[in-house]
Amino acid sequence: MPVPDGGGALVTGGSRGIGAAIAERLKADGLTVVTLGRTSGDVQADVGDSGSVAAAFADVRKRFGPVLVLVNNAGERQDGLAVRMKAAQWESVIDTNLNGAFHCIRQGLDDMLSARWGRIVNISSVVAERANPGQSNYGAAKAGMLSLTRTIAREMARKGITCNAVTPGVIETDMTIGVADKLLAGVPAGRIGRPEEVAHAVSFLVSDGAAYVNGATLAVDGALAA
Amino acid sequence: MADVTENDILEEIRDQLEAIKVPGAKEAKPENTWSELDVDSLDLVELVKALEDRFDITISDDDLKPIESVGDAIALTMRLSEAEEGAPA
Repeated sequence: MPVPDGGGALVTGGSRGIGAAIAERLKADGLTVVTLGRTSGDVQADVGDSGSVAAAFADVRKRFGPVLVLVNNAGERQDGLAVRMKAAQWESVIDTNLNGAFHCIRQGLDDMLSARWGRIVNISSVVAERANPGQSNYGAAKAGMLSLTRTIAREMARKGITCNAVTPGVIETDMTIGVADKLLAGVPAGRIGRPEEVAHAVSFLVSDGAAYVNGATLAVDGALAA
Repeated sequence: MADVTENDILEEIRDQLEAIKVPGAKEAKPENTWSELDVDSLDLVELVKALEDRFDITISDDDLKPIESVGDAIALTMRLSEAEEGAPA
């Protein structure tokens, strides 16, 4: 892998589901991988809290070296129709999914700018492109991540840093157990996706071969948003 | 702002370049060009904003066009700062 010496990858929400598959895949690619979780993982932080994120990054730098690959995967859902949604539900989901990505990017960029090399991959969602009733908060956060992705790409394009997004569709994780059959009906591919298939896309975006792929959104959804 | 020196401005420029992780920021010299320092147009926007805030000046786009080096930025900031000083209150 092309990561400069001493640099590692940080995967937020990397203890289970898609995040765990991404962490495994990047390890297999030869990267030093650190997982960050609210209560699990190698380091703990509430990504929605900028101070907590800054402390976690300081810890990671001390223990593992600079963060030159960042995968913003941490996310939460608090579904409900907008007409009944409480402000706290809206704010919590925006905090974790969108603000969390920004706080981690803000920290990671310091390391990446110093190295003049970096890879940021934001795990968005198919709902950023194709609205789901009951997910106004989640959809807005995930769509915000796509805009954030493109802006960071433009700002950093000359510094050897890329920022791309992946939009998974219906993926087999704890979150979709029991509802997969219902969700499956709308998927043109006729099956749900595997976390490893999302991880493969992330692996590509982190690779040296993707150095000129910047500001892109890569759908891994069996044509759900097509 | 009274008594701004070229050294004050150089130090501010170095601090700002350091903040955006420009390699060798702390040793930047007046003769260094932006291109040598790998400072791009977006970095310059940040730098100009910082100089405006710190030295209480306004740098127009026209002022900025011929600025190609640290020394150019120092000279411009000195000129605008002195003009500001001489302006009626």
